[in-house]
Amino acid sequence: MSKTGILDLLESGIKAETLRQKAISNNVANLQTPGYRRLGVKFEQLLAKAMESGDVGKINLDEIKASLYQPKNTALNPNGNDVNLEVEVGDMVKNSIRYRAFIKLLNKTYAQIDEAIKVG
Amino acid sequence: MRIGNASGPIDISVSGLRAQNKQMEIISSNIANARTTDAGKGEPYRRLEASLKTQKDEISGVQIDKITKDMSDFEKILDPGNPKADENGYVSMPNVSLPFEMMNLSIATRTYQANAAVLKRYQAMVETTLELLR
Repeated sequence: MSKTGILDLLESGIKAETLRQKAISNNVANLQTPGYRRLGVKFEQLLAKAMESGDVGKINLDEIKASLYQPKNTALNPNGNDVNLEVEVGDMVKNSIRYRAFIKLLNKTYAQIDEAIKVG
Repeated sequence: MRIGNASGPIDISVSGLRAQNKQMEIISSNIANARTTDAGKGEPYRRLEASLKTQKDEISGVQIDKITKDMSDFEKILDPGNPKADENGYVSMPNVSLPFEMMNLSIATRTYQANAAVLKRYQAMVETTLELLR
């Protein structure tokens, strides 16, 4: 197996945040839908588990594929819905901060590669 | 205490927003029922009040502890024509005082705004750090 590089890791991170953004928009769109349970994205937990070996290069990218899940541990409204607008907005802020961080890191990595090409 | 959790302030602000949202819900219930003479059990509506508590015994957000009924006396008004009037012509009215509720409404609104302002400012702060990654 080839070593997992920073570009692969950033890619899976960006994919996860994109999926989470979709989940949040879905949750907000269903704010008033009776019986709707909010969707979340599992990624950070998977990454933490994959990091247990301590070697970033040995992370198997298939193990940290972001996936949708329903937490089902949040308080229900009278109509059986558990979406809370404030929570979703907070998640969205966190999500966009992470997304921007990933994009900036990606830019930085590309700039470094570019620099190396120029020198050569 | 854990440090370096970048989403901490966001979660705390969100908990403040949620608590004030609930507070607003309670105030609107009180105002909507300010003249409700029948809340079941033959009693007029009793105003509700929320008490807040911290989520954890350290730096943490806020949560609604419990919602209790205000057990103060009902207001008696003279209205002999009212079907709910007693033999002396008095009707028990809810113990909701509108000026008091309006004051609480202002406090809830301002606190909500303050939490939203913290959230926004924190976001701007993180953006500043991200700018360093250029």
